[in-house]
Amino acid sequence: MGDNDNKEGFKGMANPGRYGIERVAYWLMRITGLGLLAYFIAHIYETSTILDGPSAWNAMLEMTQTTEGHIFLTLVIGMCVFHTANGIRLVFGHAGYGVGKPGRPDYPYPAKSLNMKGKACIYASIGIAALAMWYGIAVMFGV
Amino acid sequence: MRESIVMKIHYGTALGAVALVAIHILMRLTVDFHESLTYDAVVANYQMLGYALLLELILILISVHGFNGLRVILLELRQGSGYEKGVTYGCIAGMVVLIAYGTRTIIMTNMGMI
Repeated sequence: MGDNDNKEGFKGMANPGRYGIERVAYWLMRITGLGLLAYFIAHIYETSTILDGPSAWNAMLEMTQTTEGHIFLTLVIGMCVFHTANGIRLVFGHAGYGVGKPGRPDYPYPAKSLNMKGKACIYASIGIAALAMWYGIAVMFGV
Repeated sequence: MRESIVMKIHYGTALGAVALVAIHILMRLTVDFHESLTYDAVVANYQMLGYALLLELILILISVHGFNGLRVILLELRQGSGYEKGVTYGCIAGMVVLIAYGTRTIIMTNMGMI
């Protein structure tokens, strides 16, 4: 057997099925972070068109005032709210709150930090993001 | 700089940005959403000194947080002295360029150079 036969590498680390909702949150945090950075760069460029006068501003604004533009902004709202709520969970976790106390390492060695408090916060983050998206849809589409 | 200090900056910029972006979004909701985005309304926002300072702070906080986050993601994927230096300096350069570009918009609009 070769040295690398049992090594899954990046795929093993990325597999969301192995570590449950915590690994899903890990990926969502990174994907939403990259999405928000891309949106932020685009937003800085978009707002700079104000220097070119009303026609340039209105032309740029029209791109966001379409159904596709509103759907895109709804996704941005969702990414923003999830990233914020889950980020607050991570700040508390890194400060040592809610990660549980160390225990004897018995088989199958469950990590104390992967507890119900953390899982509840992740599900709450997803729920709050969904509610914010719903509110965004109501405002932008005038529902 | 120690990584623990970098992460404290990362969390500090995040919490600051959350508070300031909340104000930024609430400004859109004080009047009708679509009206708040008209050219005149946005220029008027930029020409309020307090609001311009708020935008500048948001620009700096999110740029620092965003590019440090990108650096962290890239360093998780691969390690190595040259690679880490390249990623760090690349992210700092991206951050500086974005802050400079956004600041240009804020200053020129605030001073009426449009």
